[in-house]
Amino acid sequence: MTTRTLKTLLAATALTGIAAGAVSAEDVDYGNFDGYTLRVKLIGGAQYEPLYARISEWEEMTGATVDVLSRKNHFELDREIKQDIAAGTLDWCVGSNHTSFAPQYGTIYTDLNGLIGEATLAEFQELALQNSTVDGRLVQLPRHSDISNLFYKKSLYADEDNKAAFKAEYGYDLAPPETFDQFKDQAIFFADAPSFYGTQYVGKDEAITGRFYEMLVANGGQLFDENWEPTFNSEAGVEAVQWFKDLYDAQAVPAGVLNYLWDDTGLGFASGTVAMNLDWAGWASFFNDPANSKVAGDIGLVRAPKGSGGLRSGWSGSHSFSITEGCDNKDAAASFVTFLTNHDSQMIEATAGLLPTRAKVWDDAKAKFAADGNDFLVEVFDTYAQSMAEDAFTPPLIAPWIEVSNEIWPRLQSAILGEMTAQEALDEAADAARIVMEDAGYL
Amino acid sequence: MQTKRPPFWQREKYTPYLLLLPAILTILFVVLLPLIFSFYTSFTGYRLIRPESLWQWVGLRNYERIFGDDDFWAAFVRTIVFLTIALNLEFLLGLGIALLINKITWGQRTLRTIMMFPMMFSPILVGYQFKFVFNDNIGILNNALESLGLSDGAIPWLVDTYLANFAIIFAEVWMSTSVFAILLLAGLFAMPRDPIEAAKVDGCNAWQVFRHITLPFLMPFVFIAMTIRSLDVARAYDIVDVMTGGGPAGRTELLWTLIARTGYDNARMGQANAMGYISIILSIAFTYYFFTKLIASRRYMGGAD
Repeated sequence: MTTRTLKTLLAATALTGIAAGAVSAEDVDYGNFDGYTLRVKLIGGAQYEPLYARISEWEEMTGATVDVLSRKNHFELDREIKQDIAAGTLDWCVGSNHTSFAPQYGTIYTDLNGLIGEATLAEFQELALQNSTVDGRLVQLPRHSDISNLFYKKSLYADEDNKAAFKAEYGYDLAPPETFDQFKDQAIFFADAPSFYGTQYVGKDEAITGRFYEMLVANGGQLFDENWEPTFNSEAGVEAVQWFKDLYDAQAVPAGVLNYLWDDTGLGFASGTVAMNLDWAGWASFFNDPANSKVAGDIGLVRAPKGSGGLRSGWSGSHSFSITEGCDNKDAAASFVTFLTNHDSQMIEATAGLLPTRAKVWDDAKAKFAADGNDFLVEVFDTYAQSMAEDAFTPPLIAPWIEVSNEIWPRLQSAILGEMTAQEALDEAADAARIVMEDAGYL
Repeated sequence: MQTKRPPFWQREKYTPYLLLLPAILTILFVVLLPLIFSFYTSFTGYRLIRPESLWQWVGLRNYERIFGDDDFWAAFVRTIVFLTIALNLEFLLGLGIALLINKITWGQRTLRTIMMFPMMFSPILVGYQFKFVFNDNIGILNNALESLGLSDGAIPWLVDTYLANFAIIFAEVWMSTSVFAILLLAGLFAMPRDPIEAAKVDGCNAWQVFRHITLPFLMPFVFIAMTIRSLDVARAYDIVDVMTGGGPAGRTELLWTLIARTGYDNARMGQANAMGYISIILSIAFTYYFFTKLIASRRYMGGAD
């Protein structure tokens, strides 16, 4: 089947859809690729797997077979893809991708504009598509988005003793934090190490760089100036680092927090020993499930706090699918990624709390939660919809981002542990980042 | 009549080379070519994600950068210290275990098998296991210490400079002590009984027998085990990567966590290879040292030079 036919079909389907008032997967013709084997490399992990159960449906529909070459976490997948680039073994068609990682892969992925029908693309949120574009090329089809908001243990805030004690100590009423300063006060107030902690943060890798970055922006700072000169060693940057350090010094976070990644913070909050948790919506269902979580039924949610610059932190990105430039059957690949990001697919992921990238799925998922009587997920979607619309921003979409991040995070750790001051750590990281940017040709 | 000489590959003096040819070719392709290639790339700005950068010759720049890089040298020194402590601990514990097992007359085979268990785990699993044991919040160790009333706070095992390195060495020692134990046990089995009995007849006490007969006899085995393990430990990666990733703040950074991050995450394979070549010096030095000691100890025992 040619691209043109697929496009026409998709466009036609979309038109029918509009006429009918709803686009559903059944209306779309995904083509016929009888006997073709599509080779793919996908991100693995508990939160990503449920979608892959649908692959067999696509196989049945199109007659093609999907050969999953690897299913790894994103950091391992990233290494594998880099090895493929180096070895010239990009002999597969579809790969999982992410906003933060996409720019470093250069031109190995094809431009989806023209390959995937305009009508289909129009169903996606504009911002999500914009963030999937590198150097003017749409190199990824966004699957679901992430951004963090603040989960908290409701009962702590309802407790009269807590209210009185907090007011006496800090001089303002105890309510879920609106700013990072309040966040810090309350985390320190609730903490009672080693049995209970105010909050937890991810402490290494791109995870803590991302947190630092979003707080830097919320404090009114920027990573680079318009000439790509590193500027994160500013007052706003120091303030952000100091926030991490103050919490660490006050033992409001576990001492091992610098080794924590997303699983640790999520499981920590679910264990009921943490008061507040800034995290993505992917955990929402898990947190509220009594089988997994001790805080089920006791969870409040507010938007991420504001920094001293008056902005909310809104580090965001999307998990996505990309198609290689050298793919031997791009139409089949396009059909496959379209299927895995269609309305029904996104509904499956949304049920777990993953944020859809199709505008309509937001409403449909919310309606479904309301019908099921799941008020918590309705609240989750309302809160995250607002932050996706108003607060979201990505890291700089440049090839050396991960490398710059690798210069920043060890220095953040040094500052938090008190081996150097926040200013020294950021100055050193800025110098190292400048060399990376010079080598990459930006300076 | 003069017989015609056979073609050269059929002549007797070439036969050994001919027979060795498959091995030589294999080594050439599997070892030598990659070595030459990676050595070449250490003089280029080769980045994994930019295959064309393979031809970007930068001379000694990678090496110059490394020589001026404090983080690299800190990792270098840390690797040496790590190696020294881990090897000695493994040697002492392995020796103890071998001597104890050697004394057992009943159930020795079963014990020997049980002793090998830690070696059967993949290093990654061992890393996860100890990451959980040493976790400051939900880890078994801290919870046990608190329950027993031995500590009243969460001890940051994987954060504190000394404790984190201790935790990693502990995991490494737990996994690999049995390598020493097995090799030394083999040594004990091969040991002739006569000198020991003669010594006992001459009135030597147990310590003197151990110090002057058993230990010298075991030393060649010790140095073989040391050589093998020094190469293993110098390449320590999986356990460290899982437990701390070289952090926090580079406190447990060893050569290979640094090199892997440079080569893969940062995609700077040229620079990573240059680091690799400097690190090889370390392995060569340790191997050379242990082989010298091995020859010395064999000479001491009256063995062949």
